[in-house]
Amino acid sequence: MPDLFKLVLQLTVILAVCRIVGSLFRRIGQPRVVGEMFAGILLGPSLLGWMAPGLSAYLFPPASLGFLNALSQIGVVVFMFLVGLGINPKELKNHGHAAVLTSHVSITAPFVLAAFLALYLYPRLSDDSVSFTNFALFMGSAMSITAFPVLARILSERDLLGSRLGTIAIACAAVDDVTGWCILAYIVVLIRSAHNTTSIWLTIGGVVVFALVMIYGVSRLLGGMEVSFHKWGGLSENRLAFMLLLVFAAGLCTEWLGLHLLFGAFMMGAIMPKEPKFVQYVLDRFETITVTLLLPLFFAFTGLRTNIGLVKGAEMWMYCGLIILVATAGKLGGSMVASWLSGMPLRESAGLGTLMNTRGLMELVILNIGLDIKVISPALFSMMVLMALFTTFMTTPVLEMICPDRILRPELAKIPAKEASLPGSVIESTGGSAA
Amino acid sequence: MSHINRNFIIAYALLVALPVVGLIGVLKSGRTLTAPISVDGLWQLRADPIQLASLPCGRLLTNNPDTALAISQSGKNFTLSVSNGPKSTASGAIEGTTLKASLIPSSTSSAEAGCGDNRGLSLVATVDPKADPRTLVGVLSVNDCPSCASVAFHAVRQAPPTKKGSH
Repeated sequence: MPDLFKLVLQLTVILAVCRIVGSLFRRIGQPRVVGEMFAGILLGPSLLGWMAPGLSAYLFPPASLGFLNALSQIGVVVFMFLVGLGINPKELKNHGHAAVLTSHVSITAPFVLAAFLALYLYPRLSDDSVSFTNFALFMGSAMSITAFPVLARILSERDLLGSRLGTIAIACAAVDDVTGWCILAYIVVLIRSAHNTTSIWLTIGGVVVFALVMIYGVSRLLGGMEVSFHKWGGLSENRLAFMLLLVFAAGLCTEWLGLHLLFGAFMMGAIMPKEPKFVQYVLDRFETITVTLLLPLFFAFTGLRTNIGLVKGAEMWMYCGLIILVATAGKLGGSMVASWLSGMPLRESAGLGTLMNTRGLMELVILNIGLDIKVISPALFSMMVLMALFTTFMTTPVLEMICPDRILRPELAKIPAKEASLPGSVIESTGGSAA
Repeated sequence: MSHINRNFIIAYALLVALPVVGLIGVLKSGRTLTAPISVDGLWQLRADPIQLASLPCGRLLTNNPDTALAISQSGKNFTLSVSNGPKSTASGAIEGTTLKASLIPSSTSSAEAGCGDNRGLSLVATVDPKADPRTLVGVLSVNDCPSCASVAFHAVRQAPPTKKGSH
C-alpha cells in the first residue's frame, strides 16, 4: 500500500516547484515546459539530493517512487495519445519535395552522426550486456527525435504557425516523430525478444496485425465518433470514457506484444479523425489534467533518475559536450542544409534547423525507455537529459537571433488566410498541451 | 524527367541514401568493439561474518544476513551501495575484469559502522565473465590501515540484468 501522506506530499511539492520554475522560465521567454523539465532536475539527486540529502530522502524515499512512476506513466500514455492526435500525416503532402527532403535528412543526418559517435562512446559508457547495434540504433533514434508539441508551442507563441517556416517545420517534425518511434519500436522488440521466450517474428507479426486492425478497424469506429460529435455538438461522457478505454487497450496490446505502452497510445492518437474541431474538442477534454498534474510528475520522476553528479571529471563533461555538439550538428545542420538545397532562403533554413533541433519532452520519454530497458547507462542518460534541456532551451533565443519576427512577418502576410489557419488550429492546441 | 525532379533525386541520393549506406557500414564496423564487462545489478555477498565483524568498518556489511551490493554501472565507472546496511556511498572503476571501489560510510553512519574518521572499506575483486550468473571474488580491506587484516569475499549476481541483445 502506498503511504498516502507521502504521495500527496510529493505531488504538492512537485506541482509547486514545477509551476514556480515554469513561470520563471516564461519570464525569460522560454516555454513553460522547459522550466518544468528543469524543475524535475532540481528535485532530483543533482540538486536537492546533493544540497539537502536528508530532505530528499524524506520526500522521495526509493520505496515510494514506484507509485510516483505509475502515476507519471499514466500521464505520459495520455500525453502520447494527444501527440498522436495532433499529428496529421497528410500535412507533408502539401509541401512537396522540399518538406520530404528536409524531413528525411533531418532524421538521417543526426542518426548517422549519432552512430558515428556511438563508435566512440560504446567502449566508454556502455557495457558488454548491450550490443553495439542496439546502442547505436538507440542513440540514433534518440538524437533524431523532434519535440513536436514544444515546437508547435514555440511557433504558436511567435504566431508563425501559418508561415512557410512553421508549416514545413510542423510537417517535418511529424514525420520525424513517427519515424523515430518506429525505429525505437524496432529496437525495443530486438532487445526484449532477446530475453523473452516469444519469437521475434511472432512479435513483429503481432505488431503488423495490431497496426492493420488499428488502421482499418478501430479508425472506422472512431470515424463514427466524429459523426456523433458533429451531430450532437459534442461527445457524451460514455463516448469519452470509451475513447480513453481504447487508448489504454491499445497501450496494453503493444506492451503485451513486447513493445511499450506508449506505442499503442501514440498509434491510437495517430489514427484518430483529424477534423480540426473534433481534435480541439478531444484535446480540451484530456489535456488539462494531463498537463497540469500528470506531466510534472513525469518531469520529477525523470529528474529523480538524472544524476548530474555521475557526469564528473573533464573526460565525462567532454563526452557530454560531444553529445550536444553532434546532436545539434546533425539535427540543426542537416535540416538547414536540406531546406537550403530545396530552395529555402538561408536565414529561413537556419530557422527551420533551429526549430527541428528542439527535443524537449519527447526526448525525455525516449530516454526513460532507454534507461528502463538498460540500453543506456545512468551516466549516459544524465548526459542525454542535459542535451535535451540544452537543445530545447537554445531554440527560442537562437530563433529570435537568426529569424527575427520582422523578417518572417512579411512572408507570413503573403500566405492565404485559409491555408495559414488550417494546420494552426490543430497543432496549436497540442503545442499548448505540452507547454 | 523534369529538371526539379532530377535535382531532387540527386539531393535525396546524396543526403539520405548515401548516409544510410554509411550507417550500415558503421553498424558493421562497430560489432568488433568491446565494452567494459557488465557488473550492473544486485550481488549477494558471502564472507566470513566473524572476520568481517572484527574488521573496522566491517559492520558496513554485516548488519544483515541478506546483505547485497547494488551496483549501478556507467561504462568503466560504477557506484555501489549496500542494501540493508548503514548508509554509505561508494564509487569505483572497472579495468578489464577487475573492480576497484572504496566504500565510505555517511557521516551519520560512521559510528554505527564502527569506522573512525575518514575511514572506509576498500574493495578489490575479479569478475568471472564466463560464470552464469556472474561471480565476484575479491578482498575487503580497511583504507589507511596497513595493520588491519583483509577479508576475502565471494559474491553472486542475484538478478542479472536482462540480456539486452547479442552482438
